[in-house]
Amino acid sequence: MRGGALPPALLCAALGLCLASADGRAALLGLAALVVTASAVAIAPVPATRSDGVLLGCWASIIVNAAMVHSRRALNDKAALALSLNTGVWTGAVIALAPSNMDLLEALPLALCAWPAAWARRRGQSIVLKVLASWLIAVAVLAATLQFLPVTPGYLPDHTD
Amino acid sequence: MRRAAPEIPGKLRERASVRERAAGPLALAIALAIAFGVAQVTPAYAHMGTGLPGGFESGFRHPLTGWDHLLAMVSVGIWGAFLGRPLIYALPVIFPVMMVGGAILGMFSVPMPPVELGIAVSVLVLGLCVCLAIEAPAWAACAIVATFAVFHGYAHGMELPSAVDPIGYSVGFVLATGLLHVFGIGIGLLNARPKGILVTRSLGVAVALAGGWYLCLALGL
Repeated sequence: MRGGALPPALLCAALGLCLASADGRAALLGLAALVVTASAVAIAPVPATRSDGVLLGCWASIIVNAAMVHSRRALNDKAALALSLNTGVWTGAVIALAPSNMDLLEALPLALCAWPAAWARRRGQSIVLKVLASWLIAVAVLAATLQFLPVTPGYLPDHTD
Repeated sequence: MRRAAPEIPGKLRERASVRERAAGPLALAIALAIAFGVAQVTPAYAHMGTGLPGGFESGFRHPLTGWDHLLAMVSVGIWGAFLGRPLIYALPVIFPVMMVGGAILGMFSVPMPPVELGIAVSVLVLGLCVCLAIEAPAWAACAIVATFAVFHGYAHGMELPSAVDPIGYSVGFVLATGLLHVFGIGIGLLNARPKGILVTRSLGVAVALAGGWYLCLALGL
C-alpha cells in the first residue's frame, strides 16, 4: 500500500513542528496557505503514472521541513510561507492520487501540532521538537527507500535463526 | 574515555534539572499526540487481503520482539541520562537515524561484519557504559551509539517483511525505537533520586550480563 492520507499527514506534522519557530502571524498565514494550496491541488487531475514522483516529493518535503526544525534561527515569514506552500502542493498531490479527497481532512489537522510545539519551544524544550523531527526524517528516509524496494527480505531466516 | 567514579551522584543531581526531567514526559506526550493523530489516518489503496503482515502495529511491535534490541535501545536512553546534556537528547536523535541507515544496508543486503556479533557487543558495551557510569566525550558516545545503531538497523532491515502498509510499518518501527529511548531516559532520570543511581547501575550490570550471554551465543561458546 502506498499513498493515502498517511504520507501527507506526516508532512503536515513536520510542517507543524517547523512553524513552531515562526511568529504567530506567520504561522497562521502558513497554515492558511497550506489549507488553500492543498485543497486546490487535491482536486486537480494528477496522473496516476506520476505517483512515484509525487510520493518522493512528499518524503523529500518531510525531510526538508523536519531539517528546518534543527535550524538555530527562527523561521522568518517568507520561509514559513514558502514551506507551507510547498507542503500544500505535495499534500494536495498525494491526496489527488488517493481514492478519496476526504483523506485531506485526516491529514491537515496534523499541522495543528504547531501549537503544542510552539508551547514546548516557549518553555525552552525545542530539543524535544528536534528529537521528533529526527524521527520524522528517519521515517521519511525509510519509507522513501521502501518505495524502491517492493520486495523486502523479511521472510529469510533472521539473525536469531 | 574515563570512568566517573564516586562524584557521579552529586553531578547527576545537578544535571537532572527541572527542564530535563520535564523533557522526557513532554516528548512522550507530543510523540503520542502525533502518533494518535497518525493512527486515526486510515490506510488507503492497499493490497488488502493479500495475507501480507504489517502496518503500524506490526512495525511498532518489531523493535519490542527481541530482547537484544530492546536492551540496547533502553540502555542508550539510560546512558544518555547519565551523560546529561546534550547527549541525553543527541543519542536518541542519532540512534533512529543511523538505524534507518543500517536498515537500508540490510534491505539491500550490503555485506557487513557479523551482525549477531555486533549486536551482542552493543548490548555488552552499552550495559558496561551504564553500570560503570562511563563518561565518554560527546564525539565518542555519538560514534559508539551510531555504530551500534547501524548493526541493529541492519538486522531489522534484513528481517523487514513485505508489509501491507510499508509506510505505517516505518512509522511504527521508528516510533517504537524512539519511545524505547525515552523509556530509558525515564529510567536514567532515577539518578536524581536517592539511591536511584544504584537502581540504574544495577540495571546496567544486568544488561551487561545479558550482553555477555549473547556474545557467548554469537561466538558459539
